[in-house]
Amino acid sequence: MDNVDGTEHYNFKSNPDLPTLQVIIIDTNPVAWELLKQSSGLGFPDALSQILIFANAHLAFSLSNRAAVIANHLDGAHFLSPAPPGSDLTDPDEANLTPEQQKIVSQQKASQYRVFRILEDEVRASYRRLIKSTTVEDLEKNPNGSALSGALGLALTYINRVCFGGTGGRSGGAEEKVKINSAGGKVDDTGRMMHAKILIVSVTPDPAPQYISVMNGVFAAQRLKVPIDVCKLRESTVFLQQAADATGGVYMEPEHPKGLLQYLMMGFLPDQLARESIILPTKVDVDFRAACFCHKKVLDIGFVCSICLSIFCQPPEGAVCSTCGTKLDVSSLENIGKPVVAPPKKKKKKKVTDSLSESGVASAAQSPAPEG
Amino acid sequence: MADSDEDFVLESSGDERGPRTRGSRRQTRKSKKEDASAAPRREKWEDIQRSWDTVVEAADGSIAGAVIGLLEATKRKRLLRDTTPIQRGIIRHLVLVLDLSSAMVEKDLRPTRFLLTLRYARDFVTEYFEQNPISQLSIVAMHDGLAMRISDMGGNPSDHLTALQEKAFPLEPKGASSLQNALEMARAELFHTPSHGTREIFVIFGALSSSDPADIHETINALVDDRIQIRVVGLAAQVAVCREMVMKTNDGDDSGYGVVLDEAHYRELMMAATSPPITKSESTSTPSLLMMGFPSRTVENFETLCSCHSNLTKGGYICPRCSSKICFLPTECPCCGLTLILSTHLARSYHHLFPLKNWVEVPWSDAHLSTHCFSCHFAFPLNPPPTSPSKSRQSHGLTTKGFEKGSQSQNNSTQNAVSQRYACPDCKTHFCIDCDIFAHESLHNCPGCQAVPASVTKGRANVSSTTTANSRKLVGHNMKTQVAEATKMLEKSKIAPGNGTGSSMDVDV
Repeated sequence: MDNVDGTEHYNFKSNPDLPTLQVIIIDTNPVAWELLKQSSGLGFPDALSQILIFANAHLAFSLSNRAAVIANHLDGAHFLSPAPPGSDLTDPDEANLTPEQQKIVSQQKASQYRVFRILEDEVRASYRRLIKSTTVEDLEKNPNGSALSGALGLALTYINRVCFGGTGGRSGGAEEKVKINSAGGKVDDTGRMMHAKILIVSVTPDPAPQYISVMNGVFAAQRLKVPIDVCKLRESTVFLQQAADATGGVYMEPEHPKGLLQYLMMGFLPDQLARESIILPTKVDVDFRAACFCHKKVLDIGFVCSICLSIFCQPPEGAVCSTCGTKLDVSSLENIGKPVVAPPKKKKKKKVTDSLSESGVASAAQSPAPEG
Repeated sequence: MADSDEDFVLESSGDERGPRTRGSRRQTRKSKKEDASAAPRREKWEDIQRSWDTVVEAADGSIAGAVIGLLEATKRKRLLRDTTPIQRGIIRHLVLVLDLSSAMVEKDLRPTRFLLTLRYARDFVTEYFEQNPISQLSIVAMHDGLAMRISDMGGNPSDHLTALQEKAFPLEPKGASSLQNALEMARAELFHTPSHGTREIFVIFGALSSSDPADIHETINALVDDRIQIRVVGLAAQVAVCREMVMKTNDGDDSGYGVVLDEAHYRELMMAATSPPITKSESTSTPSLLMMGFPSRTVENFETLCSCHSNLTKGGYICPRCSSKICFLPTECPCCGLTLILSTHLARSYHHLFPLKNWVEVPWSDAHLSTHCFSCHFAFPLNPPPTSPSKSRQSHGLTTKGFEKGSQSQNNSTQNAVSQRYACPDCKTHFCIDCDIFAHESLHNCPGCQAVPASVTKGRANVSSTTTANSRKLVGHNMKTQVAEATKMLEKSKIAPGNGTGSSMDVDV
């Protein structure tokens, strides 16, 4: 009966035109920015101005669009805008200005669009405070420091709050709750009040110890359907390539970092709706190969422990997994490289041993299931 | 209707464990009563809990505080789970058995049991492959006394999802259901699965009886011999044979058998089966070393046929052993039989191995330490009168966004029973309930530990101390560092050729 029901032609799934929240994660590691400046001439102040223009462009698209900026600093992640409630927002540098300079500044600010100004003031003030709190020892201790997973965590929890009202994008069981949440504004079927996207402007190398936590963040973004865009100005990276690929975001390594604004505007500005109809300038060949845990070799074919999923380039010594200490059964691997020969016919009752499992014979020999 | 179901389940999920060969519903009750007669007590149904009795009005007559407390309690209920790292069967082989007997036409679950089951089964498939990317699934239906295969054992979620489409579904609920036939078919499907993975059967059982061609207990014993684990979700009431087979195949543990109370509970029970099962005894699976290929992705100028579906595609993954083109991962190479996965698939399973600790509720005495959620800036209610805002560490006010202001003023006026703050035991940062749930269900990280500098090392230290305590647990920190080192090397090896051919801009000075 349902098959001849034609009402679906008339009931178009309403896909409300939702506003977008843009979260920008900026590396604020001074060492990395200095290195970038020496190699390409783009310093942090210029870059920050250009990123702010990008954020303003995003805000200008719609009155209900919003933006958040998170600093991925040496050893921690911090909200630059919106600043944590209760934090001090006075610009530490402004106090030192002469009255005349202050007048000029305030005049400049008076003619600025309020939303832009709030964002810019917050970001600049929070950033100055962040840099003031950073000591030389911190830099020396941790020149490649980055808290990428923390920044991603902050971004995602914030998106969860702003775009989903804290429901985590769960549909189905949470349907009733969503309707309550939607009392005020437009909501799509998953209870999403806003779209969201994350842009990571990165200059630091991959934080290798954070691999698992970064990937956890990436998968959470995937669940929330939040694309992670990556603008990699320095140091090619594997994590962020995989992040952009998994979430459907754009990955770009600008050839001329000085023209950052151009890249940002052309590559990263389009929102979710527009992205459906344009070809994104993303990188297609992503490196998905794995490195083994024993010799750190990059592998095409490797051996994986079935308990802890550690990767080895050859069966470990004594057949004991070096990570979880489990005694492994390697009997199935002994005939690797030898031609696969069908085993002699045995009595039907005989239990199948592992010798079949790895060589691929198992899948071919599906037995007919007893029916009825 | 719903009430009577509830009563029964509550009683039957009690602690009696004795093996019962053939017990009807009546018998269960009777024996229970006999036990109870020793010490006379009120029966479950005599204690009526009215939800409105538990609500306590605040001084000004509002119940907002109590409502928030109740809401949080229900949210929280899901969350508290055991977080010690336990060995789990990461590589799973599961047969989902759906009941398509005439009992599924019942409308006690909206719209009907059948349609709701199909919908939840689709959700289950998606969630299952999200949680267990390198696992396999197959779907079998119990229809008119027979077992019918809906989809074959495979690792591609879209195959199963197309098989479960409502409009194109080949079967309508009809006749009786036969547990034995379905179990035998599932057993045959799991017969060839490799020994390192788990073998599981997950039955959705809507009927209250099973019409079998032979003795089902023999089948159950055969399942035990084949070390297959069974989980059952009952849609109507507890059935003795289901309970028996769950207990026998799970070493006497019947927690894998649940009877649904309502739609939401049904979903909960189904989703509970998506997280990998705990490895209970050494015999359930033999750890082994798997040979796996990590294929690279290619993009072609012209369309070529893929070797898995014979579709024309313009790109795909190349098997490192036999160089055939595959369009979907993870899979087994159709040509040479090598298991092909991406390193991200392995990474997706890691959070089962390192679960995030439960966060603890913050008492009002410590609540003054924070005024808002660390990660989402949600404003917490301030203390009941004694603590004024000026006492709190951070001065209050100056919020920039509308929603924060609104919720703040709202919360100021109510006195709440709970502080609504939850603290990570490692970094002591305060979070709201929504972030708590999000962090535990989706993110699997603590934003505080990751974003606050000093606590990072502290958190790691805790991981290592807990892991050495129990030999069954995995050596978490060891693995973490190994993963880290490995990826570092990968990155280096990747960069080296890149600098030579790529842009000179990226080279360090």
